[in-house]
Amino acid sequence: MTGAFWFGRTLLLVSLFCGTDGPFDIELFNTPASPTAQGHARLVFAESPFGVAVTADGRASYDVRIDASGLPDPATLGAFSTYVAWAVTTDLTEWHRLGRVTNGTSVVGHAELNKFLLVITAESSPEPRAHSGPTILHGTSPSGWLQSFLSHPLFRGLPP
Amino acid sequence: MFRLPCAAALLAVLAVPASAQNSAPAKKSPAMPGMSGMRGMRGMRDSSRVGTRGTTSKRKKTTSPVAGGAPMAMTAGADMEGMAMPVPMPKGMPMIPGLVGLTPAVTSFLPGVGVDSRSLPVAMASRLTRLRNGDTLDLTAMLVRRTIKGHSYVMYAFNGQSPGPLIRVPQNASITVRFHNRIDLPSAVHWHGVRLDNRFDGVPGLTQAEVASGKDFTYTVHFPDAGFYWYHPHVREDIQQAMGLFGNMRVDAPEPEYYSPVNREQTLVLNDILINGDTLIPFGKESADYALMGRVGNVLLVNGEPRYSLRAQKGDVVRFFITNVASSRTFNLSFGGAPIKIVASDVSRFEREERVASVVIAPAERYIVEVRFDRPGRFTIVNAVQSINHYLGEFTSEVDTLGSVAVAAVPAAHDFGAQFAALRANDAVSRDIARYRKYFDKAPDKTLTLTVAANTLPLATVQFMNVDTAYFAPVEWVDGMPDMNWLSTARQVRWILRDDATGQENMNIDWHVAQRSVVKIRIFNDPKSFHPMQHPIHLHGQRMLVIARDGVATKNLVWKDTALIPVGSTVDLLVDASNPGVWMLHCHIAEHLEAGMMTAIHVDSVAAGAGR
Ligand SMILES: [Cu+2]
Repeated sequence: MTGAFWFGRTLLLVSLFCGTDGPFDIELFNTPASPTAQGHARLVFAESPFGVAVTADGRASYDVRIDASGLPDPATLGAFSTYVAWAVTTDLTEWHRLGRVTNGTSVVGHAELNKFLLVITAESSPEPRAHSGPTILHGTSPSGWLQSFLSHPLFRGLPP
Repeated sequence: MFRLPCAAALLAVLAVPASAQNSAPAKKSPAMPGMSGMRGMRGMRDSSRVGTRGTTSKRKKTTSPVAGGAPMAMTAGADMEGMAMPVPMPKGMPMIPGLVGLTPAVTSFLPGVGVDSRSLPVAMASRLTRLRNGDTLDLTAMLVRRTIKGHSYVMYAFNGQSPGPLIRVPQNASITVRFHNRIDLPSAVHWHGVRLDNRFDGVPGLTQAEVASGKDFTYTVHFPDAGFYWYHPHVREDIQQAMGLFGNMRVDAPEPEYYSPVNREQTLVLNDILINGDTLIPFGKESADYALMGRVGNVLLVNGEPRYSLRAQKGDVVRFFITNVASSRTFNLSFGGAPIKIVASDVSRFEREERVASVVIAPAERYIVEVRFDRPGRFTIVNAVQSINHYLGEFTSEVDTLGSVAVAAVPAAHDFGAQFAALRANDAVSRDIARYRKYFDKAPDKTLTLTVAANTLPLATVQFMNVDTAYFAPVEWVDGMPDMNWLSTARQVRWILRDDATGQENMNIDWHVAQRSVVKIRIFNDPKSFHPMQHPIHLHGQRMLVIARDGVATKNLVWKDTALIPVGSTVDLLVDASNPGVWMLHCHIAEHLEAGMMTAIHVDSVAAGAGR
C-alpha cells in the first residue's frame, strides 16, 4: 500500500464519519433511487447474559434498530415488495441478511462484523438469499471511524 | 455536527508533509520488535532520544528498569542496560517515537526488595480448605518464589498458595480469619461479593486501618448467600493482586440439587501477567503506572499457570467456577466448540440456564458454567477476542490458548447428558427477584457518568489520544498502546465517577441511602472522554441486578456485585441496599481504582420493621 492510498483513505474516513454521535450510531444516506428516504440506525447489543454480547471469536453482536422515513412503495422501484437490511463487509464480498425494514422503527439483527456497511435494498421477498434490488439507504458501522496512522507525523518522529 | 476530534484528525492528516505521506511506512525494522522487544528497543533508543521531550524519571535516574530490589539472580540473563523501554509492544505496533526513552515518573517496585529469593518457599497450587460455622483460618500474605514459563520470580501468595486457599463453607456460616501481613507492603483483605459486617469489608481508610507489614487483623466473615466469591487485598491491588494475592470462596446452599449433577467440578481463576522475556515489568512505587488502560499482561494464566489441563471421559459434564482476577483484561472464553450452559454468576444462579457460545468475564466477575465434552479428543480452551491495531486502524483476531481438556474414548461413568440438555428455570431466583420488579421502572435515584481527566502526560500521548478518539470499541480486549499506557501514572490520570445531579466526583459524592431501600443507579460510560474504556463497576457489601442495558430490559436476571459498563453504554443497576455501613462503589480495573475511580455509599441503619 502506498502512503498516498492510506492518506486518501484516512481523509475519506475522517470526512465520512464526522457526523455521528457515538459508538453505536449509524447515519444513513439515501441514493438517487430514493431521494426521499431518510434514516438513522443504532446498534444495540444483542441479548446476552454477559456485560457485552459477542461471538465466540470476540466480535460484537448487535441488533440494529433502524428508524426510517420517506421510503417509497417498493413497487414504484420495480418488481419489489419490501425492503431488507444487510450487514456487508467493507469489500462488498459478504452480504449478511439482517431483516425486513419498513417506515418507522424496525429492529433487525444480528450484525456481527467488525466493520460493516449497513445497506437497505428493495427486494421481492422479505427473506431473499441474495440482494437483487436497488440500494435505497446505506451507512457505515461506527468502527469505520478507526483511522490509519501509517502516515501520521506522530509515528514518523516528526515534530508535531 | 463537526466534532472536534474529527477536525483535529483532519488537520493532522492535512499537516503531514507530502514527502512523509508518500514514503513507505517504517516496518519490520529492528526498532519495531514483536512481543519481546528488548533488543529492538535498544536499537531504537539512541536515535529516538533526540526527540524525547525531557520528561524526568526517578526510575531512569535512580534505578535500572528491573530494579526495585528484585535479586539479580531472579533476572539472570536479562540485559538490563538495554531496557530503555521494557514494554513489550503488540506485533506490528510501533512505539510513538516521541515516547521512546521516556519512563513513568515513579520509582520502580517489585516484591521482595533485598530478599534472597532462595530463602523463599516455592509457591504451591491452591488447596481446598473446608470450614464449618465457627471455624478459624489463619491467612498469611507472604513472599514466595514462583516459576512461570521456566523463569523464577519473587511474588506474593496467601499461605504459600496462589491462587490462595479455596475456602468452602456452608451458606450462613461465619468464620474467623486471622490475617497476617508478611509482605513488604501494607495490606488488608476484602471479601468480594460477600454481604458481611461492614467493619470486616477490608477497605483501608473506610472500614479499617491498613494492616502494616508484619501486623495482623482478625476478620469475621459471614456468608449469607450461596455462590462463588473471591478475596483479595484492597490496597494497591495493581501490585498485590497482580503478584498473586487472590483466592476463592465457595458457599454451598443447603439444597442438594442447587446445581445440576455433573461428572466433575473445576475452578478456573483467570489472570494475566506482564513479562518482558524473563523480567517482570516493575510497578510504580508511589502510584500505579499503566493508569490509562490498566496493566494488561502478555502471559495469560489459569490457576496461576500458563497452561491448564484436565482429563475427562467422553460425555463428561464439567462444572467450571470461573473468576477473572486480572487487573484489567476482560476475557472471552470458550472450550474448543464444546457446548456451554451458563448457570450462575456473582451472587446467585440465573433465573434460567442458557446456552452460550463463549463466556465474557470482566475483572472481578464470576460465572459458573457447565460444559459437556461429548466426543473423544482434545478441546482447547481459548480466549478469543478482536483487538484493535490503533496504528493501522484495523481489527485483528487474537486467540490465546489457556489450556486443554483431553477427553478419553471411555464413556463417562455417569451419563448426565439429559440433565445437561435441559435448561433449568430457577424459580427460587425468580421469586426472590419478583419482589423487586416494582422498582424496575422507577426514575433513577442516582445517575453517574464515567469519564477521565489527565494532566502532564507526554505530549505525544495527548496528541495521539486527541486524534484517535474518533472510534472506541465498547470493550478494549487488549492493550493496543502499551507505550502510552505504561507511561501514564495515577498521578497524571484521574478516572472519574461523576454524580450528574451535583457534579461531585468520586469520594466527594455525599451519598446516603436507607437500609432496606431499593436504589436504582444509572451509569453512563461517556464515549467522548479523553480516553474512553469499559469499566467493571463493583459495589461492596450489597447485591444488585443489571436490569437494563441501553434501554433494553434484561430478560434473564442474576444477582451481581460487579457489572461491566461498555464504552458508550448506559446501564441500570438495581441495588438491594440490605446491608448497613459505608460501602465502596468502584471500578475494578486496579489502576483505575488507584487513579481515583471510586465512591462510597452510606447505607444508613433503619430500625427493624421500618423501611420500604
Ligand atoms: Cu475502570
